[in-house]
Amino acid sequence: MRRAVYNSAIPDVILNTVNRASRLALNPRLRQVFLVIFALVIAASAADWSGPEQQLARKIVAVTGPGAVSLTMENRSSLTKRDSDIIQGGLRSALDGLGLRIVKAEQAAATVKITLSESPSSYVWVAEIHQGSGDSAVVMVSTARAQGSSAAHDSAPLSLRKIPLWAQEDPILDVAVLEENTAPTHIAVLDPEKVSLYRMQSGKWQLEQALEVVHARPWPRDARGRLVPARDHLLDVYLPGVLCASTAAMPLSLNCRENDDPWPLVPGTLSGGAVSVFPSAGMANGASVVVPQIKGFFAPSRNFFTGALTPGVGKFTTVGKFYSAAWLPREKYTLWLFATIDGQVHMVDGVSDQAAKLDWGSDLAGVRTACGAGWQILATNAGNATEDSIRAYEVLDRDPAAVSAPLELPGETTALWTESKGDSAVAVVRNRETGSYEAFRLAMSCSQ
Amino acid sequence: MKRFDWRCLAVSSVLLAGLARAETRPQYGGTLHVAVCAAPGSLDPADSGPDSFARRSITLLMFETLVTMDDGGRVHPALAVSWQASAGSQRWQLRLRRGVKFHDGTALTAEAVAASLRAANPSWTVTAEGDSVVIERDPADPETLAELTLPRNAIALRNAAGKPMGTGPFHLVDWQPGKKLTLAAEEGYWRGRPFLDGVEIELGRNYREQMMALDVGKNDLVEVAPEQAHRTWPEGRWLANSAPVELLALVFARDAQSPEDKLLREALALSVERGSIRSVLLQGAGQPAGGILPNWISGYGFIFPTNADLPRARHEREQVRKVVTWTLGYDGNDRVARFLAERISLNAKDAGLSLQPTAAATADLRLMRIPLASSDPWVALAGVQAAAGVSQGRNRGTTVEDLYAAEQAALAAQRIIPLFHLPVYEAAGPALRNWTLRPDGTWDLADAWLGSGKP
Repeated sequence: MRRAVYNSAIPDVILNTVNRASRLALNPRLRQVFLVIFALVIAASAADWSGPEQQLARKIVAVTGPGAVSLTMENRSSLTKRDSDIIQGGLRSALDGLGLRIVKAEQAAATVKITLSESPSSYVWVAEIHQGSGDSAVVMVSTARAQGSSAAHDSAPLSLRKIPLWAQEDPILDVAVLEENTAPTHIAVLDPEKVSLYRMQSGKWQLEQALEVVHARPWPRDARGRLVPARDHLLDVYLPGVLCASTAAMPLSLNCRENDDPWPLVPGTLSGGAVSVFPSAGMANGASVVVPQIKGFFAPSRNFFTGALTPGVGKFTTVGKFYSAAWLPREKYTLWLFATIDGQVHMVDGVSDQAAKLDWGSDLAGVRTACGAGWQILATNAGNATEDSIRAYEVLDRDPAAVSAPLELPGETTALWTESKGDSAVAVVRNRETGSYEAFRLAMSCSQ
Repeated sequence: MKRFDWRCLAVSSVLLAGLARAETRPQYGGTLHVAVCAAPGSLDPADSGPDSFARRSITLLMFETLVTMDDGGRVHPALAVSWQASAGSQRWQLRLRRGVKFHDGTALTAEAVAASLRAANPSWTVTAEGDSVVIERDPADPETLAELTLPRNAIALRNAAGKPMGTGPFHLVDWQPGKKLTLAAEEGYWRGRPFLDGVEIELGRNYREQMMALDVGKNDLVEVAPEQAHRTWPEGRWLANSAPVELLALVFARDAQSPEDKLLREALALSVERGSIRSVLLQGAGQPAGGILPNWISGYGFIFPTNADLPRARHEREQVRKVVTWTLGYDGNDRVARFLAERISLNAKDAGLSLQPTAAATADLRLMRIPLASSDPWVALAGVQAAAGVSQGRNRGTTVEDLYAAEQAALAAQRIIPLFHLPVYEAAGPALRNWTLRPDGTWDLADAWLGSGKP
């Protein structure tokens, strides 16, 4: 592996560090362990700069010839100080190897100023060489910049945590966990053009099958979609104006047709539906509660539900156009919450429809857990917040109360759906730094 | 010289635009009101009229290119889904996306694409081959894909009257040249209908008019003069800026005529006090420029000196016995341009030169704002040379040293004296959400939407 082959400066750096460490009276065995760990850390995280280092060194020597030069270096790029130091060491070694002695300015026949710079696609290293009173010469090399790496974003709030499920460049509309042991082992990932099935094998996700979503019309912007595990086949896929059903047996295929059937708003397990593909499924606290299934019609050329419900919540068969819905079972009724497109939350109990302006965003999901009152609403934060987050709430009467700290997310939430088991939700986030889409399972813990 | 990290700037702009509205699902509907200084004489992408960032943005609302370029200089599919180049980069074959239609319902075909590219690039040989177009370049050009990302290479279908039609997210409803452009969302747009129902763009509005319209809530998106960018913005107004994508330069109308002429031009270049001009006249906006390409594009721009060197300027000047008076042209509609021209004339006077500022159309040299064509350095350099009337070498190199040599050669011709690299500044009202000012200075409104207007 290229990373293991490094320029000669690194051992010096390590040795110096270890020598300093020895003055701290570490015992020899500990020193060895320290050395090995440190070397491994360096080797694991360092890029290989030896190519451009050698290249630039040769160009410098071609101008100066062998002899004594002074060397200064400036980092004007996004390279870290550590990388910059490593490169400086590498360049010194490379110049030394080519017969150039690096001395103080007053002893030098030439001065070399190296600047580490960059363009959108490359690192650009420039050496300005001054010899005597003549004009300066400029030599430079470029080397491709690595693609941005995604930073770790996992945080550990007390009661609401996110578990990474999947990440990809293309938009993710939904992720369904099809099988799991202690962790998911089989998942389906819905993007606008396909359903991809992945299976965990030897600790890695392997693509099992990709099922094309056939659609005649372009998707609306901010396209949304839902994976719903089915009773007699693997999955139904709800998309704007399109309904797809998978076949039952492997290898699967997906049959899609233009269809405006309403989307189920309650997961099968909570609405009494049998879901055959969840051997490990089960409610966190085991109690049997059935939430009557309600379906909502989705506007085929928009990103919201039309507000038409079937069979309706009590006397209400229509509510305002909404982005998302969640439910809270009560003793004698179910309180439905709709995040409507006017930014309000409508609480509908079958008799009354009460609108509230809450500090919530467009996406809600209901979860049933063993914590607190047993039913929580997960809600994205409102548009005037400075961080993207999701928070759990309980609703006493009609007054929501936060029951978790905000779970910070690496970008805006593009999807939030209750999982089929009902005790967790899937959130899809567009990472604001990398631009990629990341799907998380959101699970409550009762630590608070 | 102060280090400039354009990525931080771009990110900060996006954050500024998005900070207070971190999250809510986009809403469909509404008409976005925009104002711009430019008043294009044509909506045809291939028209060679005056270039501006607003014109490019308008073009990209209605038309699309075969490929696009991201902030990192990587090329992505758009109307073309894949491409292939011959070994020498002379022949490029691009396969077209299926199912795309022009705004009148006509299918996008290879023939239509070839005709569009031929109209924009008379020197290219472009032919249709099945579901692909083939572009042959002589000489070979490895930057062909980068050129295809330029708005002027957006694909247009021209009707019998020569009126162009595109495949972009908005279609033309009404155009009153010099006054107003009205666009409507294209319902069948292949990437999905925009959230906005329409965009109304007021043309030919100066910065002051635009700012007033923003302040009273008449417009949602306006341009901001660089020297105004520092002002305090009221709550709910958002300022965004691009990377430095515009070259402000002195451009001579013709090549140097004699060794003495060269010395005088050198003296003028050495006399300009960019630092103090930036502080006072530009109110800290932009970056002093010694080279044509900004550092964020070339990676080596910092090595071109930008500080004035008056003793050397005088020395160069004193080698010439007879000094002529040059006229320095500037855009009479641009107040700051006049101040800049006057200030440069004073600097020149300190070096013993004589410059006469004038708003007349013809002058010995002009103060020009040249929008950089692309973040691809070769394409950007060629664009500046073309705008300045400087001849270009036939062959482009492949290494950063080739690029440096080409830029040095362009500067050595002494037709261009770079002064500043300026960002594009745009301000948005409180209702506009999820709009993007790309690092190249164009807006992206396809994902923009209008909210309640409350910050």
